[in-house]
Amino acid sequence: MKKNSLLKGLVGAAFLFGATLSAHAADTLAAVKAAGTLKVGTETAFAPFDFIDAGEHAGLNVDLFAEIGKELGVKIEWVALPWDGVFPALEAGKFDIVAGPATITKKRMERYRFTPPIAEATIAILKKAGDKTITKPEDIAGKKIGVGKATSQLDQLKEFSDTLPTKAEIREYPAFTESYADLAAGRIAGVANSLPNIAFVAKQREGTFEVVLPPFGKKSYFGFIGLKDADHAPLMDAVDAALLKIKADGRMAALQKKWFGASFDTPDSIKDPAF
Amino acid sequence: MSFKLFELLLQASIYTVTISVVSILIGFAIAILLSGMLLSQRSHLMLPARIFISFFRGVPLLVQLLLIYNLLPVIGINVPSIVAAIIGLSLCTAAYQAENLRGGFASVPTGLVESAEMVGLSPSQIFRRIKVPIALRLTFPALVNEAILILKASSLVSVVGIVELTRMAQDLAGSTFLPLQLFASAGLIYLVINWIVALAGGLIERRLPGVPR
Repeated sequence: MKKNSLLKGLVGAAFLFGATLSAHAADTLAAVKAAGTLKVGTETAFAPFDFIDAGEHAGLNVDLFAEIGKELGVKIEWVALPWDGVFPALEAGKFDIVAGPATITKKRMERYRFTPPIAEATIAILKKAGDKTITKPEDIAGKKIGVGKATSQLDQLKEFSDTLPTKAEIREYPAFTESYADLAAGRIAGVANSLPNIAFVAKQREGTFEVVLPPFGKKSYFGFIGLKDADHAPLMDAVDAALLKIKADGRMAALQKKWFGASFDTPDSIKDPAF
Repeated sequence: MSFKLFELLLQASIYTVTISVVSILIGFAIAILLSGMLLSQRSHLMLPARIFISFFRGVPLLVQLLLIYNLLPVIGINVPSIVAAIIGLSLCTAAYQAENLRGGFASVPTGLVESAEMVGLSPSQIFRRIKVPIALRLTFPALVNEAILILKASSLVSVVGIVELTRMAQDLAGSTFLPLQLFASAGLIYLVINWIVALAGGLIERRLPGVPR
């Protein structure tokens, strides 16, 4: 009992101490410029945004942040974590911004600040090539469908599944790549992910996977994420401005074409997301 | 599977080995201190050591790593991934090694110590010449065991952002869709590393004083 209360006291003290410290933290943009490095958190299992291509970190995020770095005049340093560890680490200050990217949702907007959208995030189903039992999204009723844990795609899939006569049997995975592996191995019938992601996977593995069209549910978008507090406001303003400039001069569309095979029309900002 | 992929796995295993070796050594140094505190018979030394050991033995390593990575910044210490990984593994293995050492020192036959006292050896001589060699000899197999366990447990440090052997295999499996070949190769690399550790441990053990041949 004595040990317990001592531990509780220590943890409590640590939190109090931390709260007072973070209250004195400085303007993040100034800190980033002074260090010359923008620390960017991400997960390297979300092709084509972020993935390991023969050992090299590659994807749309890497290219886009290279441009953002040029605009801000800083170098980019990547920190790759499993997706469910990314948000706690952002709040702990392990990096300045998350390149995830994450679907812009109401729930996340309450807690985090999003950059302008960088791609469409509307959800669709990836199936095994030649699987005749799934020809439209509604066919996933009663089937095992994989999706990433702690993702907005999971929420979108659940909402859609609830409208079906029999719900889909949803399997949550730590990373989407593991769900693709299980789909290839025949352990699940499909994977629900945003259209750009599964279109890329299907293109990479022609003959193994196929996309079930059309995408379903409400239209949603991907954005990068930062903290909402006053310390991070100047940094997020600067990243927003850089992204809008990259979008305006056509660099964004060129990168989307490079990674998705097509460019998207995205709004400059999202005020009221569908989810 | 191409040689390029195997080469990437080997490169990632350098992280696995480096982090494990550094953690085992730091852990051993902390364990000596902790076992000294445990054997001191003074409650103000024993209590903190006991709390330390019960915490780091009682909480899963995965949770410890996440706590160190995400909680330390809250108290103003923001460490890079590699440091968080080494701190986590070191503190965890220190708790186990301390218990091993304590057991080793406690198993030094009292008769030997009494005889040493009889022939006039000083307490520090008894410690250096009798207790340490015997305790080390008794705990050495457990230390080799612990090194192997830490090498395998190091696969957990990917949660703080280190691309070690297991994580590299997962990443490569994600982009090449060759999970079977990649995980089999990763398993083989772990096996070879741990086989070398066990072999080296056996060689050193035979050269330790007091081993019957």
